[in-house]
Amino acid sequence: MKRFRYLFLILLLLQAATSASAQAFITYGGSRKFDGIHKNEIYGNLVYGGNVVTGRFFGEAASYTRHFTERWSITGGEQAQLLKQLYSLDLTGTYRIPFKRSSLFFDARVAGNRYHQWDVNELLINAAAYWETNYVDLRFGVSFIHYHKHNVKEEYKSYTDASYTEPPTLTVGLGINIRPRNNPWNLGLFIRNFDQFYYETWNINWGLRFHATLPWNDMKIYSEFNIRPAGSLSQLATRYETALKVGLKYAW
Amino acid sequence: MPGKMKNTLLLSLLLLCGVLFSSCEKLAEKINPAGILMAGTAVEDRVDMSYKYFLNHLDNKVWLIAYGDYSFLVGADSHVTTDPGRMDEMFAIGLRDKDLFYAHLGDIADTKSEYYITLDSLIQEAKYRYVQENYIMQDEYHFIPREDKSGYFLPCTYDEIQFPFFPVVGNHDITRNGWALWSNIFHSSFYEIDVIDFLDDGTMAFDHLIFLDSASGTLGTTQIKLIEEGVLNGKYSNGESIYRYTFVFSHTNIFKPQFNEFASTFTREETFYLLDKFEEWNVTCVFCGHVHTWDERNFNGVHYLTLDTMCEANNPDPGDYILRIHIDQDRYAYWTPVHMSSVGPKKK
Repeated sequence: MKRFRYLFLILLLLQAATSASAQAFITYGGSRKFDGIHKNEIYGNLVYGGNVVTGRFFGEAASYTRHFTERWSITGGEQAQLLKQLYSLDLTGTYRIPFKRSSLFFDARVAGNRYHQWDVNELLINAAAYWETNYVDLRFGVSFIHYHKHNVKEEYKSYTDASYTEPPTLTVGLGINIRPRNNPWNLGLFIRNFDQFYYETWNINWGLRFHATLPWNDMKIYSEFNIRPAGSLSQLATRYETALKVGLKYAW
Repeated sequence: MPGKMKNTLLLSLLLLCGVLFSSCEKLAEKINPAGILMAGTAVEDRVDMSYKYFLNHLDNKVWLIAYGDYSFLVGADSHVTTDPGRMDEMFAIGLRDKDLFYAHLGDIADTKSEYYITLDSLIQEAKYRYVQENYIMQDEYHFIPREDKSGYFLPCTYDEIQFPFFPVVGNHDITRNGWALWSNIFHSSFYEIDVIDFLDDGTMAFDHLIFLDSASGTLGTTQIKLIEEGVLNGKYSNGESIYRYTFVFSHTNIFKPQFNEFASTFTREETFYLLDKFEEWNVTCVFCGHVHTWDERNFNGVHYLTLDTMCEANNPDPGDYILRIHIDQDRYAYWTPVHMSSVGPKKK
């Protein structure tokens, strides 16, 4: 029994330790490919934004990637968005297939969100294929989303539920850079129906992304300006959330 | 092919697709590609205007009067174009079965002035039939209800009689700046109505009808601010609800009924905010439209019904496209489907 407890603790620590990067590769517009030298990558970014429901918010996100081989890697991440009271963890396993001069990645991802002010826990499972060329990246996948309200009203407990599993949601994303992917700096545009810790039913995010190599220690700075309207596919895209993310990537 | 040339070719292709898409008249009526990135009408303006209209017309606030058991009809997504048969049938059914009021969950007409003219004529005709059925003339200009056990009604002119048809605004109603057309007929997209029910035992009960402007897939800052200020709360100072039943009407749906649904629903935070708010308001049932698919579920004590479309073009065969909600004065409410027999145009 004790052994199991230790095993569980070790798994939990591993998850926490690796839980720092799965989301950052969504924000970061550079290459995800293992460069053959640096097996470890760590990302950390700050986020500041405004949301129609929660008002202004700020927070941080961090992630860690370990490349085991040229093809296999694992990434874990976390985020805490204060004022919005949103706390998240995730873990992603990735397999890469080289395809001509591009790479095809297959991601399997599990994430958990805690929307504290509404007492809602959300579980996300996503499987996606990600094609990365020199200028363009494309993502196509499917998400399974389940959420439940933690405290169900006592009087309703006998006959009602406070949980919901959504039908599968398609994940689509497109990014375009103006310079080749491994250029020391790059600027790009993206459009997608997801972000680091959420997958939406056809609310289309879009915005600008940027990254540049800093002159010391293989460190990179990256940034993203994310416009997240509501009602895009109702053809009434309306201001819902805007956020600016600025972060650093370090590899060793 | 050089990279620059390839990029130019790609851009030209995209532009060509856009032009072809916009020039296809039937599609262009329904779809506004520019609206995917930026809407032509803003929820903030609509709610601001609606709330000002409400404040300026407080004297004319609508109260619905019921005597004991009563019922009302709910329909969704009629997308009135040239054939308003189903809307006409909904009015006729309500009149025949003496429903207290009609609620419509948005996308009542596609955005085109001709369609709104058709809709307005239809409502005027229905009002005429409603007045004939429910009012008698007191003198040359004034009407009084045929049945008034409450003693609340004063004689009123034809124009002052409120035809009890209450819609919420849908995205297709206003996609191409159609708010001017919609508001010209219905004035307000964010409002509430009280039903006073005179019960058989001589007491009264109050029911609350809340109409939200969710056409844009978000309530927007102004509407959320007003909600947070408590304009729809309906509670006594001790926290007890004034209302027996509360019904919410929203165009955008809360729960996504099926995989192949390509309409935007509420964002994550707003979904959780609304689920919480409906629970706080002690809502009996939330009625939604938008996705043209039937769905029924219960979440933490609140019932959610998403209605299929009653539009002839989408559902041409006769069927159960609208709902009747029965309010039983012995403290329960239930719904039954209502059959519509009008048939849409045959598909070529």
